[in-house]
Amino acid sequence: MVSDGGVRYDAAMTIPENLRYTSYHEWARLGENGIAIGITDFAQEALGDVVFVDLPTIGSVLNVGDKLGEVESTKSVSEVYAPITGTVIAINEALGSAPETINTDPYGEGWFCVIEPTDEDGFAALLDAAAYTELTDH
Amino acid sequence: MTLRQSSLHEVHLALDAKMTEFGGWEMPLSYPSGTIREHLACRSDAVVFDVSHLGTVRLEGTGSFDLLQRTFTNDLSRIVPGQAQYTHLLDADTAGVVDDIIVWWIDEERFDVMPNASNTVRVREAIGGEDVTSGRAILAVQGPEARRRVATVLPEVASVPHFGVRRVDFEGHECIIAGTGYTGEDGFECAVPSEVAAHFFELVLSTGVIAAGLGARDTLRLEACLPLHSHELGPDITPLQAGLGWVVSWTKDDFRGRQALLSEREEGPSRRLRALLSSSRRPPHPNDAVFVGDLAQGCVTSGNYSPLLERGIALAFVPSEVEIGDIVTIETRGSLTEATVVRPPFHRLHLP
Repeated sequence: MVSDGGVRYDAAMTIPENLRYTSYHEWARLGENGIAIGITDFAQEALGDVVFVDLPTIGSVLNVGDKLGEVESTKSVSEVYAPITGTVIAINEALGSAPETINTDPYGEGWFCVIEPTDEDGFAALLDAAAYTELTDH
Repeated sequence: MTLRQSSLHEVHLALDAKMTEFGGWEMPLSYPSGTIREHLACRSDAVVFDVSHLGTVRLEGTGSFDLLQRTFTNDLSRIVPGQAQYTHLLDADTAGVVDDIIVWWIDEERFDVMPNASNTVRVREAIGGEDVTSGRAILAVQGPEARRRVATVLPEVASVPHFGVRRVDFEGHECIIAGTGYTGEDGFECAVPSEVAAHFFELVLSTGVIAAGLGARDTLRLEACLPLHSHELGPDITPLQAGLGWVVSWTKDDFRGRQALLSEREEGPSRRLRALLSSSRRPPHPNDAVFVGDLAQGCVTSGNYSPLLERGIALAFVPSEVEIGDIVTIETRGSLTEATVVRPPFHRLHLP
């Protein structure tokens, strides 16, 4: 999801073992009430200071790959895509006035939204931490 | 294409800077502190930027004054040796701005002309001179505490007055210090020979001034409503449209582009650059449409998030009738946001 404009990144990104990932640098966490979505440490580091987020509307029905929203830094805008098919059941409204939480806690308080999946296959099809690590090593 | 590197390149890497391409150079975009903190540090304290990518064209000898006076728009006779002046180079036929430039008048017959990185060639076509860009680094120390902090290690440097230009010895090397900048804050820019640039930079950092990258430089200059060439200025934009009539001297003799600019001066420009304060945090972007009433009648030239105001801000061309206090609408990536036309600069606004 990141258009990097030729920026050089340093390694040492955090990639938790218990999450699933997409090649667009989103993470997904399976919970009791749905699947929480966010952007990865790699993505927030590449973006720089996040200053604005455009969150989806609760109740939106999305297919895999549909645009979920936007995360914007002082230098670029990135679209966030739905990693799975389902319905948006929660959004992190705190990001509206404190979008920088995505930089400080990308896997925790910086979550983006929760999707209730239409089926269980979508989550299983996502990248595991090892596969995502390989992707970001290039 | 191989990117040019500043003589401070290794120092930036050691500071873990995120690097980016700008005007053919590989320069720091931000340091680990991040653009927002760097920006706010410049507004409240002091930061230092490596701006070695700016060009330096040195013009020496008799006739230098006359050549600059008949080529650029501003009136050099308003200043004296030891002072700096902001000026424009216009296209002779269209009066569009080929480049915006700072002239450092160092000695009676010695000028350092500072074009934008990518316009150095065009400026040399107009005035000749020697391109001395590669022999030096330029460090811009900016912020309300810049002088106080740097005075503890380099008192001579810190005492250069606003828009003054002085030659200062640093470890046996001649540096040129000018009381100029691009942030809307007090400060100075230092042309330092490459061989001592790293030491100079480290000395400035040792006073508690923090390093800032081009990301913060851009948000700072936008808050200060300072134009960026190829956004607010360019071959299809005249100084009058950009609201920079003060850069053009009508009382001196002929200069390049004067005739072409005269008719616009008489009729008044059809569009004007205005400062727009968004009602939301969403950063406007260049080329976003600006609606006045129901009609798209304007265009954003630069837009971003203001770390100081915590709102989206933009500079935009709008019809001349649009006044301060008017409400317009900016269309950003399909979403409409109201914005107020405000009196520049943004960083001196007092919001309720």
